[in-house]
Amino acid sequence: MSPGALSQERDVREAYAAHSGELYGFALRSLDDAGLAEEAVQETFLRAWRAGERFDPQIGSLRTWLFAILRNVVIDLGRARSVRPKVGQSGIEPSVEPLEEALLSWQVEEAMRRIGDDHRRVLVETYYRGRPYSEVAEELGVPEGTVKSRVYYGLRALRVVLEEMGYED
Amino acid sequence: MRTKPCRDWRISLGAYALGHLDEEERAGLEAHLEGCPECRAELASLGGVAALLPHADPVHFDKAPEPSPELGRRIFAGIEADTRRERRRQLRRRWSLGFGAAGLAAATATVLALVVFAGGGSGPGQAPQQQVAFADLPPGVEMGATLEPHSFGTEIHVYVSGVRSGTLCKVFLRGDDGVRYSAGSFRYRWGDDSEAVLSSGLDLSRTAAVGVRAGNRTFVAPVDSTATAFTNPQEEEAT
Repeated sequence: MSPGALSQERDVREAYAAHSGELYGFALRSLDDAGLAEEAVQETFLRAWRAGERFDPQIGSLRTWLFAILRNVVIDLGRARSVRPKVGQSGIEPSVEPLEEALLSWQVEEAMRRIGDDHRRVLVETYYRGRPYSEVAEELGVPEGTVKSRVYYGLRALRVVLEEMGYED
Repeated sequence: MRTKPCRDWRISLGAYALGHLDEEERAGLEAHLEGCPECRAELASLGGVAALLPHADPVHFDKAPEPSPELGRRIFAGIEADTRRERRRQLRRRWSLGFGAAGLAAATATVLALVVFAGGGSGPGQAPQQQVAFADLPPGVEMGATLEPHSFGTEIHVYVSGVRSGTLCKVFLRGDDGVRYSAGSFRYRWGDDSEAVLSSGLDLSRTAAVGVRAGNRTFVAPVDSTATAFTNPQEEEAT
């Protein structure tokens, strides 16, 4: 048996405590349905438990392994649901966005949540809302150069967090 | 003219990567970049991150979504149920070997039950176990036992399913002298697929049968006492 394998219920409990939040976040981002997202996470841990002996930490982290399982679960759920299109505000739309895009979106959003408030704020105001640096600086009561500096360090922080999350170019 | 130090240019790299610098500042930074490989490398790195921003939706930035507290409970209840199913499947596979043999024997003789096999799974120094299966069980009822000889007597593992939840099951061994020796009792609970572990002071080599009285019915399976003598390897070495 590999060290770190999910061979005991205690191991699964530890894995759940460490990773259930982000697994659920990704499932929700992918499926856009809280009930289905919980179903996906539940199925992920059940599959992980059944295949726990096969997990090898020498090959990859537990987190990576769980995400790989969740990815397959989401695909399965997406397929099962694909025959039932979701009615959105703009009419009929696909119920599941492409999985890789959903994963990337979730990763960037999760990284955004993890960086400091000051950094996230200036990135939201300047990039996503397209506001001038001078206006943001006035609103925050800081020099314009500080906003520029926070944009720079915000992007750096985002890069570090993404690397910690396993994102690779 | 005094030029800006590298670190001053560097803090503009973020705004540059996002396309936010005005023309004058952009031209000045680009001139600096031509002669500064460190800033070029930093820009390349930031550019990769900046390219990811369009993939995110700021409405999701505020708070990470959390699953309901019930999710964890459901998952671990599912794992426990899965564990029980697997254990039951393994036990049924073990007993099914016995029932197959029982059916064959029943066709040739009128017996209540028979010994399935003896000594399965024993290795050097291990006490030989004996698994027995009960015949003539009502439809839907499963029952089996494993007997293991010890120096103190006999350890008995009993598996029951399909009887009414809460049924009191009294287990006994019958010696080759015809005397019945109580081995204790347990209550069957619906959904509990675990084996009850009991013991008796009667040696397995002197045991003729094992019985389970479940409710008001008694089921008996004979034991092959010839194949079950307890041997202590240390004692053997000493003699």
